[in-house]
Amino acid sequence: MLIRLIVPGEIARVEDLNTSLEAVLARHGIDAGARADVRLIVEELAGNAIAYGGGDGRDMGQHELSVDISREADLLTLRFRDQGAPFDPLSAQTPDLEADILDRPLGGLGLYLIRRIAESMRYERIDDCNLLHVSLRVPAPENPR
Amino acid sequence: MSLQIKILPPGNGSQRMALAGRLDTHSFEDLDEALAPLLDHRLHSLVLDLAGLEYISSAGIRSLFKARKALGGHGGKVLLVNPQAQIQKVLDVVKAVPMDEIFASTAEADAYLDAMQRKVLRADEDE
Repeated sequence: MLIRLIVPGEIARVEDLNTSLEAVLARHGIDAGARADVRLIVEELAGNAIAYGGGDGRDMGQHELSVDISREADLLTLRFRDQGAPFDPLSAQTPDLEADILDRPLGGLGLYLIRRIAESMRYERIDDCNLLHVSLRVPAPENPR
Repeated sequence: MSLQIKILPPGNGSQRMALAGRLDTHSFEDLDEALAPLLDHRLHSLVLDLAGLEYISSAGIRSLFKARKALGGHGGKVLLVNPQAQIQKVLDVVKAVPMDEIFASTAEADAYLDAMQRKVLRADEDE
């Protein structure tokens, strides 16, 4: 594993989370494109968990978000865990891309982006947490700094 | 500060703005606020120079769309210039902006606006 980070489920902490992830991934020679993908995935998943994690459209309240990242050959796997209400992002409907973007549901666009960027995804409900595994194909590591 | 917004002098019904940094859930409101006073019915085109923008998320995409909708109401356009790789990738995936509204350089966007202007003038002459 490259890193595991746990932060309070607050929007302001998501930036801290991404800043730390970015630094660690750069140090491990993960290229800028893949780092941006990770930033996007974390931002969108955290935003959804915080906004809807309370269930029935309520925000998540006092909960933690946890992200860990590991690399095996050319696959970077991110595991995103939240303590919110059960939600399987893979069950979310594909947004209607022909519809006006402002009329689409708020969360749908972010999840759609992740599904298109990810190589594979797997969801499980474990220990009262949502756990989403997201794998990205990454180029061979650059020379580590 | 994750997003830098530079408002350039307006001209000829067109407003230019340069964005740098990250347009995301933490910064989209800054852009919305900067754009709000500019998006009136006199504005015919908003040219967003994205050369310095490194990153966009769905929150940023929605801001671009709000601007597009505001101008579209009176036939105005939002033109995106020089989007970097991550921005282009996200735009492609969500099909957020028609390809003919994305330009590789400000010169290309200017040429497009000039052509649009001539078309409008010709239409006026025909009336």
